[in-house]
Amino acid sequence: MATRADTAKPVVTLALLAAVLTAIVVLVANVTRTRIAHNEQAWIQQRLDALVAPATYDNDLLTDSIAVRAPDLLGTAQPVRIYRARRAGAPVAAVIRAIAPDGYRGPIELLVAVGRDGRLIGVQVIRHNETPGLGDAFESRDVHWLDRFRGRSLTDPPTQRWTVRRDGGDFDAFTGATITPRAIIKAVRNSLEYYQRNSQKIFDLPSQ
Amino acid sequence: MSASPPRVFGSTAQLIAVCPLLAMSDTVADALGIGAAVLVVVPLAAVLLALLRSRLSDETALAATMLTVAALVACVELLMRAWLSELRTALNLFLPLIVSNLVIVQYLQARHETAGRAFGGSLRIAVGIAITLLPLGIARELVGRGSLLHDAHTLLGSWAGWSEVGVFRVDMGFMLAMLPPGAFIAFGLLLAARNWLLHRRS
Repeated sequence: MATRADTAKPVVTLALLAAVLTAIVVLVANVTRTRIAHNEQAWIQQRLDALVAPATYDNDLLTDSIAVRAPDLLGTAQPVRIYRARRAGAPVAAVIRAIAPDGYRGPIELLVAVGRDGRLIGVQVIRHNETPGLGDAFESRDVHWLDRFRGRSLTDPPTQRWTVRRDGGDFDAFTGATITPRAIIKAVRNSLEYYQRNSQKIFDLPSQ
Repeated sequence: MSASPPRVFGSTAQLIAVCPLLAMSDTVADALGIGAAVLVVVPLAAVLLALLRSRLSDETALAATMLTVAALVACVELLMRAWLSELRTALNLFLPLIVSNLVIVQYLQARHETAGRAFGGSLRIAVGIAITLLPLGIARELVGRGSLLHDAHTLLGSWAGWSEVGVFRVDMGFMLAMLPPGAFIAFGLLLAARNWLLHRRS
């Protein structure tokens, strides 16, 4: 028969252990917070630089940005960040951190750079879970696949041809995967549409 | 010390426990990263739990194991995000997942009484896991991508950028090797090789 003390001791130990471990995790989280934030900033800056030539604008994209919500066009109910490039105060480009919600294995995070004139400057995939070897061809086998968006706009090609060739569109899919390219093309087109509908607002809203 | 795990938890359970770890070995860099995390977490947790063992009952020991391993993995993840940020993007989904496996490994170690023996025993296991991951990473990357040390700079710093070795060029790669089942096939081959060697020696 266990006495009360016998049962209490392990439980107290467990509670103390939980308290100490929580404190340690909080401590580590605090120590690493600024470095992790810095890493994320550097990571996104690197990708922004690859999209929009730094020589074409003179502001800081990371601070000159807004968060918008547009579940229909930007692919997520969460706020989506838009970075704004300006030269001497005049709008140059907007980079929309859109989501392609219908990837083969979950959402695909994109950076869609649109010039002031509504033409695409470039598209980058920044995070995805697509099947290695097939759906991730845009970063291995077919690294230039994303280049074909450059210069395109909402009217070039016309709406019904903004899809993969198999669906009667203008864009090649890459070998071995149709769902991934289809999802990316759709998300890019939707981002363009969002831009066209909101271009004034995108550049006028105060940074937040 | 009474709480030796039931017999059914033999080496087979230990083998199964490491399987999800093995699935993450699709490149050499990933295998090294996971191996490093295991090497840090397992011995630390073992020592901590051995010190507390006399103050815990059989019922609370498992909960304590879980708490300890989860907290340590959380810390390792944060530290990796701070200092190995690019590799961590690759391991993004999986690091918290190793908790469940390590809890089993750790629980199996509960029979070691002293901190010293627990440390020794678990270090042996951790090194074993890390060493097993490496050939799997090498084999899968070689077969799946035709390269070695792809993305190794994310682990070893930019000076390792030159170290990727393109062994042969593949168009599609041998995909199966890169997908999780590839790890199990490779692991099976590795076990077969081990058994064959042991058999030959005896």
